[in-house]
Amino acid sequence: MSASIELENVSKRYGALTVLDDISLSIAAGEFVVFLGPSGCGKSTLLRMIAGLEDVSSGTISVGGRRVDTLPPGKRGVAMVFQSYALYPHMTVRQNMAFGLENIGVPKDEIGRRVKAAAQTLEIDHLIDRKPQKLSGGQRQRVAIGRAIVKEPAAFLFDEPLSNLDAALRGRTRLELAQLHARLGSTMIFVTHDQVEAMTLADRIVIMNARRIEQIGTPMEIYQRPATRFVASFIGSPTMNFLPLTAIEKGQSGLALSVAGLGRVETSFPSQTKIDVEGASLGIRAEDLSISAEGETGIPLKAEIVERLGDRTLVYGVLGDGSKLTVEADGRAAVRAGEVLQVRLAPDTFHLFAADGRAVRGGQ
Amino acid sequence: MREPEVTYKPESLTASRPLLWGAAVLSLIMMAPVAWLVGLSIKSNQDLMMGTDSVFRFPYTLVNYLNILHSSQVFGWLLNSVIVATGHTLGVLVLSSLAGYGFARLEFPFRRTVFVIVLFGLAVPEQAVIIARHQMFSWLNLHNTYLGLMLPGFSSAFGVFLMTQFFRAIPKDIDEAALLDNASQFRIFWKIMLPLTLPAQATLGIFTFLGAWNDYWWPLISATRKEMYTLTIGIASSQTNFAQSEGLGFLAAQAVFASLPAIIVYLIFQRHIVTAVSGGAVK
Amino acid sequence: MAESYRRSQWSHGLFILPYLCFFLVLLVFPLFWGMWLSLHKADLFGPGRFVGLTNYTRVLADPVFLQALRNTIIFVAVSVPALVVIGLFLALALNRTTRATSFFRGLFFSSSVLSVTIVTLIWRFVFIPGDGLLAVLFKQVGLTPISFLSTSGWSLFSVGAATVWWCIGLPMMLFLAALQQVPQDLYEAAALDNASGWRVLTRITLPSIARTIVLVTIIQIVLQFQLFGQAQLMTNGGPSGTSRPLVMYIYEVGFVRWDIGRGAAASQILFLIILVAAMAQYIVSSRKTEA
Repeated sequence: MSASIELENVSKRYGALTVLDDISLSIAAGEFVVFLGPSGCGKSTLLRMIAGLEDVSSGTISVGGRRVDTLPPGKRGVAMVFQSYALYPHMTVRQNMAFGLENIGVPKDEIGRRVKAAAQTLEIDHLIDRKPQKLSGGQRQRVAIGRAIVKEPAAFLFDEPLSNLDAALRGRTRLELAQLHARLGSTMIFVTHDQVEAMTLADRIVIMNARRIEQIGTPMEIYQRPATRFVASFIGSPTMNFLPLTAIEKGQSGLALSVAGLGRVETSFPSQTKIDVEGASLGIRAEDLSISAEGETGIPLKAEIVERLGDRTLVYGVLGDGSKLTVEADGRAAVRAGEVLQVRLAPDTFHLFAADGRAVRGGQ
Repeated sequence: MREPEVTYKPESLTASRPLLWGAAVLSLIMMAPVAWLVGLSIKSNQDLMMGTDSVFRFPYTLVNYLNILHSSQVFGWLLNSVIVATGHTLGVLVLSSLAGYGFARLEFPFRRTVFVIVLFGLAVPEQAVIIARHQMFSWLNLHNTYLGLMLPGFSSAFGVFLMTQFFRAIPKDIDEAALLDNASQFRIFWKIMLPLTLPAQATLGIFTFLGAWNDYWWPLISATRKEMYTLTIGIASSQTNFAQSEGLGFLAAQAVFASLPAIIVYLIFQRHIVTAVSGGAVK
Repeated sequence: MAESYRRSQWSHGLFILPYLCFFLVLLVFPLFWGMWLSLHKADLFGPGRFVGLTNYTRVLADPVFLQALRNTIIFVAVSVPALVVIGLFLALALNRTTRATSFFRGLFFSSSVLSVTIVTLIWRFVFIPGDGLLAVLFKQVGLTPISFLSTSGWSLFSVGAATVWWCIGLPMMLFLAALQQVPQDLYEAAALDNASGWRVLTRITLPSIARTIVLVTIIQIVLQFQLFGQAQLMTNGGPSGTSRPLVMYIYEVGFVRWDIGRGAAASQILFLIILVAAMAQYIVSSRKTEA
């Protein structure tokens, strides 16, 4: 069973303080959606509002076409996995999973069947009579997920469920969650501040910042065509380079931009684009820059710090006017700090942002 | 090269040996009166009539303890104490758990105001209410009844305060998970919260039990009939015929006997009592 | 609008209702009824004639009351410092977990679980003239035994000795709890700074637990102002009232002479004194920063 989720003009206010402002979002049945954003952006609050743990100040929430924002949490048909797992400490794994079913009067043999199936799926059937304090972090995590699965909910809500696991376990659990989603086909909403989790798990990512949704899109859309400067800077590692513009003119085929430190650059942004040069900036990902071969000309960059990551090398350097620029090079690149390199630009990959942070479309 | 002399050990940071010796000397003062009491209790009254320094000489006897067995009064008082202290404790546990959950976890109109008023109750000494209370219990004919002996304890704010603290310490996620599990407010309390506070219940329960067992003021005023005396009052009443050198041994044996329940409870539940004392009072 | 579980609901108040009933009937009502009674010429079954503040003026003019007040203040002034100093000493000595210290802790707290009846019985055996433990010891070393319980001056002192013996566990435990809160790295830093044991005590330990010292003092003032059982059972207030405390005055006026109005008036005066101390406690405990 899986259901669509519809949020219409949802706001959350605490007195004069607005935490979420006019959020509208529709999630298809079976979709895996990740709410991604920095801490304090309201993503967890939004999830808790869907769960019914927080009031909705205005707007409506529907699950499977049924309006739920007036219902108590237990009647909304959703299950939640908490960051702390929130297992009942005095109950065994079996009792933890059965509790919710007992509350709605599911027959005993049915409860037993579902608990057994979920435990097998999650490979925790050998732990079924233990109490949570006798389990490792990863095992508790599985129990928390199992407790959600047995309810056969219309949607799963995950509130940063991986943040208490160590790095290796986090990676493995991420894969298992993806498999779980593929097998159950349920609607899932997953809150995180970790972009890797978002990129790997999501069908669609909802990027949130300062009370609002910045962009909704597939991981690749978000990465390749960030709608705002915030999204561009939040996604991707190392962070995108931003350079201020000094002039925008009509060029040969598109806009010709005068960029601090780079000089005049011909781009493919349509020449009829209306954009004010004041406050505008050019965004370039480090991986879209490359080091010119011996003898070729390019933009001179003085390497200050060289980070060798094995498969690639990150060069943090300074341009002629003092602006900073990060370039990604091959893992075997023989760059040394202090050297002056020639950097090659790829104008097709540029991102152009207006003063209000909005991206100018049409470059690619 | 000479080996450096070791003059410093890390554990000497927090306590030192002379202090410990001081504590050992004080512990002798602590124990001497009790040893004296036990000594008196195992001497026959005839020996003691000759002079109490006979405690330091043979023969010793258990005759005084045997005499307690023949005095049915003491067992009646013991029974009264058990009934009153148990009822008092159960009442406090039920009321404090409910109220503590309400104050710590639920929102209702005037919650803060009511909580502050209840906290003020902690500052009201028994003496300030005892005269009016005595009069009320006279109107209701509750004097010399078990109920009359238990009831005043139910109004104590200490347990409510303690349980509120304990409920607050449980992570909110647990209740929220239960809400999503479709549990009713009472079911969350009964199936999730209450089991989680079992250690706290034990602490509060033992503490309350000892307090009720040792209570002197209220039973002194309320229980005026000898058969309704609690052990505390009963032993006090036999003290008043404390004629010098007469029956000293028997009186001492009675005191030892009467202190046993509290001492046994203390030995078994020492840790809980310490928690209640240091946790409840500092905060 | 959502009906959130956080939403304030009257029905949630049902959880505190049972307690609240007992609280109102057995504490709040008697408190105000006692004040009402104190303004009346009252007997056992209810208020009689309204007499205004006459009960208060009569209590305050009663030499027996004034003597009891003086006795109580002397008792508090001597027993509270003794409890605080000995309690602090024990806590400092036993602030370590070894088998010996936990035995001593258990021992020093054990007297607190006894009832006042047992404690006074134990100490009467110590103090009885001629046959008590002290008398026996005095005779051994060739001193003349003192009749502690029936000599004025000594009687209140004897009550105090029994009280300190009985009550020492609580201050010790509270100080121990406070000492465990002192961060260990402070001591380690002091050791690296070459501080002597005495300097560590006066510059680090005592300042760190200053708030607890004040709190324990106030708690003990509140408790010891309510002295009753020890005095009643050991000396019955004697000789000639020199060891009669305030609460015993209330007891005698209210429940022996059945002058309810005057007893109520005296108990309100005691309440006022204790309330001032309790307020001080509240202020100290709600002040977050340490002096």
